[in-house]
Amino acid sequence: MIRVGFLDNMQFRLALAVQVIGNMIYLVLMYFLWKAIFDSSPVDTINGMTFEDTMIYLVLASAILEFIEMWIVWGVGRDVQSGQIVVDLLRPVNYRTNMFFTCFGGTIVNLIATFIPTMIVVYFVAGRAYALSWNLLWFFISLILSILINYYINFFTATITFYTESVWGINVAREVVVGVLSGATIPLAFFPDAFRKVAEILPFQGICNSPLTLLLGDGMAPSEVISILGVQLFWVVALSVVSGLFFKVSVRRITVNGG
Amino acid sequence: MEPVIRLENLTKEFKVLNRHEGIKGAIGDLFSRDYKIVTAVNDVSLDIMPGEIIGYLGPNGAGKSTTIKMMSGVLEPTRGRVICNGMEPYRNRTQNAENIGVVFGQRSQLWWSLPAIESFRILRDIYQVSNADYQEMMDLYATMVDMESILHKPVRQMSLGQRTLCDILAAFLHNPSVVYLDEPTIGLDVAMKAKIRELILMLNEQKKTTVILTTHDMGDVDALCRRIVIIDKGSKLYDNDIEHLSELFGKYRTLSLVLTGKSDAGNTELISRRLADVKAVLEERWPSSDFFEVSVSDFSIEILIDEKKASLMNVISAIQDKMKIYDIHIEEISTESVIRKIYGGGI
Repeated sequence: MIRVGFLDNMQFRLALAVQVIGNMIYLVLMYFLWKAIFDSSPVDTINGMTFEDTMIYLVLASAILEFIEMWIVWGVGRDVQSGQIVVDLLRPVNYRTNMFFTCFGGTIVNLIATFIPTMIVVYFVAGRAYALSWNLLWFFISLILSILINYYINFFTATITFYTESVWGINVAREVVVGVLSGATIPLAFFPDAFRKVAEILPFQGICNSPLTLLLGDGMAPSEVISILGVQLFWVVALSVVSGLFFKVSVRRITVNGG
Repeated sequence: MEPVIRLENLTKEFKVLNRHEGIKGAIGDLFSRDYKIVTAVNDVSLDIMPGEIIGYLGPNGAGKSTTIKMMSGVLEPTRGRVICNGMEPYRNRTQNAENIGVVFGQRSQLWWSLPAIESFRILRDIYQVSNADYQEMMDLYATMVDMESILHKPVRQMSLGQRTLCDILAAFLHNPSVVYLDEPTIGLDVAMKAKIRELILMLNEQKKTTVILTTHDMGDVDALCRRIVIIDKGSKLYDNDIEHLSELFGKYRTLSLVLTGKSDAGNTELISRRLADVKAVLEERWPSSDFFEVSVSDFSIEILIDEKKASLMNVISAIQDKMKIYDIHIEEISTESVIRKIYGGGI
């Protein structure tokens, strides 16, 4: 299935190029926005982060969201509306697992084509923004957990389309929630205290904040590393169970369009 | 012998919002709790034996696809149950899916941008078909179909006929015990239809696959099915051999009369007049009878006669009294006409 996703994705090379360009435009906008914020502040450091820190964080965070973005909410919604979902339900494979591997091919393409280059560019442009040692390992492990967390959230949202058949509003809601609460739009450090405490116990920060903390932090104690990875792992398991159950219940109530 | 599929009092109801038209209606609908219950399948019971090719017929909207979705495990019945290969398909969806194949005439299960052969390989892996079995199937297909011309084409570049053919090949690939064909020949040309019917017959004979066929094409029914089940408005109307179908409506025969000479061939006005004349004669002799159906086909006037109500010979002589008969043809009623009568509410 990974091969299928990969092959399918490569059919649309132009789309890939546009995606990269789109991301760059976003980064340019962010640069100027945050420059303005920091320029208008009397101190160099806001909430413990300098302008440089903030930029590096946001560039990498948006790059993560970029490659980790999955189309399954749209895909499933469209299949439900057209009735094409019946084809997938007639196959002797677990729907969720099947979906994952079809997506995964695309995610890997994006990881290699957009994220890794961004990481490399940031490293050199921002003058060694992160150390090149163990933290890279933790980072990649964390990234794998991020992919899973994001997938389960997406799958849960996709299952909602079984009931509503409409995709757009739900997907926008999900994107906003994930975007804000994962720390990708605004670093979590900038959140007001109470808000940040809430965000920290939710799974969304596991998508961007966790891996980036592991990447950018210098000299982190092993207990810190384990705690961050541990929280991510907890969410992977919890979301897996919740999304799995929700799907099981929903698939029995579904009405398949078309005759 | 145990039936491979059994339907027991199968019922499916849908809760549907009563929608109103116009802008005000659409806004009102957002807050409406006004639902109605639509019964798509109503208390259908049926036994299907292994190796049968059974035609599952009914007018549009009769509930055929809904029944098939329940039999294949996609929908859950509201009441009653389906037992397929010893299990209830909607309770064991993936397990049941290992043993069935499905072809939907209006959609494809193949991967759109990949060549057909890639789809077959993926399905071989998904259904865990051994390489030997896979090769055997492909060889079998090659004896009936020119595989080379379609195997390497991306599905999205195929014509409808080629795509349907590939879908059917894909459905039988893992040698399932049951295959559901939901309007497989829809939109296909005559040659393609013949090819596909041949293919289905051959696979049913060779692999003893049970086939449930839904179709609107009576040619399919005549060529493939020995047994027919007719469903309308969710209820089962008929469940028997194809031969017994004509007995449903008593003895019907079609009388084909040519009432215009060779020199007048193609004179549609004259033919219309003859049509009116015939109707007048029948009306006169058998006043307010509803057991004749008169129509025009090519150059002949066709009269469908219920032989229990009027004798064929009497009809011929009544017409002969008034006009010259150039040619006569007598035919048994076609399956198509019977089905049409049933759809029209003749039962």
